[in-house]
Amino acid sequence: MSGHFRFEEIEHTADIAIRVRGRDLAELFANAAYGMACQLADPGAVDQTVEHVIELDAYDAETLLVSWLGELLYLGEREECVFTDFELPQVTPTRLRAIVRGGPVEKHGAHIKAVTFSELEIVRTDAGYETTVVFDV
Amino acid sequence: MTQRRKQRQKPRQGQEQRETQKTAQKQDFRRVDKYIWELPADFRDDMRVPARLFGDAELFDAAFRDRTAIQLTNTATLPGIVKYALAMPDFHQGYGFPIGGVAAIRRDTGVISPGGVGYDINCGVRLLGTYLEQEEVAPYLEDLTAALYRACPSGVGGKGRVQVSERELDELVTQGARWALNKGLARQEDVIHTEEQGCLSGADPSKVSARAKERGRPQVGSLGAGNHFLEIDVVEEIYDPEVADAFGLWENQIVVQIHCGSRGFGHQVCDDYVKQLQSAVHKYKIQLPDRELVCAPIDSPEGRAYYGAMASAVNYAFVNRQVLAMGVREAFEQVLAGRVQEFDLFQVYDVAHNIAKFEEHEVDGQRMRLCVHRKGATRAFGPGYQGLPPNHRDVGQPVLVPGSMGTASYVLVGTNKAMELTFGSTCHGAGRTMSRSKARREIWGSDLRNELEQQGIVVRAGSNKGLAEEAPAAYKDVSRVVEVVHGVGIARKVARLRPLAVIKG
Repeated sequence: MSGHFRFEEIEHTADIAIRVRGRDLAELFANAAYGMACQLADPGAVDQTVEHVIELDAYDAETLLVSWLGELLYLGEREECVFTDFELPQVTPTRLRAIVRGGPVEKHGAHIKAVTFSELEIVRTDAGYETTVVFDV
Repeated sequence: MTQRRKQRQKPRQGQEQRETQKTAQKQDFRRVDKYIWELPADFRDDMRVPARLFGDAELFDAAFRDRTAIQLTNTATLPGIVKYALAMPDFHQGYGFPIGGVAAIRRDTGVISPGGVGYDINCGVRLLGTYLEQEEVAPYLEDLTAALYRACPSGVGGKGRVQVSERELDELVTQGARWALNKGLARQEDVIHTEEQGCLSGADPSKVSARAKERGRPQVGSLGAGNHFLEIDVVEEIYDPEVADAFGLWENQIVVQIHCGSRGFGHQVCDDYVKQLQSAVHKYKIQLPDRELVCAPIDSPEGRAYYGAMASAVNYAFVNRQVLAMGVREAFEQVLAGRVQEFDLFQVYDVAHNIAKFEEHEVDGQRMRLCVHRKGATRAFGPGYQGLPPNHRDVGQPVLVPGSMGTASYVLVGTNKAMELTFGSTCHGAGRTMSRSKARREIWGSDLRNELEQQGIVVRAGSNKGLAEEAPAAYKDVSRVVEVVHGVGIARKVARLRPLAVIKG
């Protein structure tokens, strides 16, 4: 999972935007989640003490991505933690199953209110998939 | 999950158009007035009305440095939109609509869009007036700031002053400010001096998800983080003594601003419906250039459900600011009782900056009931409007325009010109020009804290990072924005406020 491009932050006047790539949908979704985690906290400072299984259905791949990141935000708010490790054994464009791990953080980064559909489009590239995600902060 | 699985080979809305869309350039706009720039409706095939940007030449240029002009063009494509898609001079790139965007949409044939309201539903400002002058408060400013910080919870995931049960929450979001009044958390005068008297009708908690309620229950009476703040200000200058008097404002007076919204409750409502309506767009065959503009016909089960949930979040936010206002009163009493003669605070007004609501406006000589979307824009009704409190009716509605942290804020008054030009709307703030990440890179939170303190401003903030992101340098000059709305007449200047103490999450 490490050692190659996972995400990059791109300029957005008001909000936070990241560009994410993955060789397949599972990697794309994991990298998007990791990119979001890096906005919320320093992932290196998070002890993985909490584990959850997440199962989601959605209308299409973009909606699934928004639901997935939204689910992580929600669980993080509820349990006062940030998730930094993501295993996605099953991902189709409309359904996913994931095991996520994370823990409490002392120093919070950005407060993300929501994951938006703004300019959201998952595109196929020669190397797999690419998308941009804009967070409302 | 409520979304049903669909066959995989369906067309994805917006995709085809996106590839062929023309991007508006400066020269495609025509200057129709010193401060108004118009893009004709025939610029793009899918536009239904012209798009209008408000601003001086420099602000206008900024619309092409980010996606504002594109997003405004997209807004002009919404079914049922009348007259113009508008951007107030504090515009900047948002998602779906630009921030500063206003769109009025026909109730019978048009749509309602969560992307036209935003995630922080009824993010807004409340202004409280005191009977104190700056010199009376100066010796206690540090203590007062500390007391406010304790009385008004802030920060990420901060719990509020009031915890409510699920049933109480349903009552709260249905009744809005009246709920607070019945609970002893508001005064009659507060309720009267709130937009819509603190209750947008049509709230339907049965259309709000269990998750939104779960997030909302512990947060009533909390500021949150981001650009939300609480500020002690002094009235530095009065521009219109007659109107200022009607609002209860005078030079050298101490006032308090509360800027926040509907917290996790509103964010979740928006999030839920942006997802749910993706399929409605397909069902009703609505063509959209950007998925974040997702919408449903106003007169459809999906559209009515969103309105019922959105109105619930609007009312949640009115109550949230109301409960915080009681916290402000408590802090003032704690610190100032026995030290000054009168420590009480009265409510000047409370306005929404992110909302969709039904209003009557004139379109081509006809009165029409429209769903007015304001996303980072303020209602600015002129004199004579029936819904205003008695002491404002002859002068117009107070418009509260907070500046960026450490800079001036303005109190304006609504005008009849705004009724003609902008569906009774005007600007809401300074408007960002620098991304948060750039602000974090270029500005040191600790330096900024020192700088503000050198100006004599007391700062209590959860983190230096949050401080840096909201630095004044990351925003447009609010005075410039206000000059435009004053110059074009879609609000008039009444008073300028200078910050003395800032509390941030």
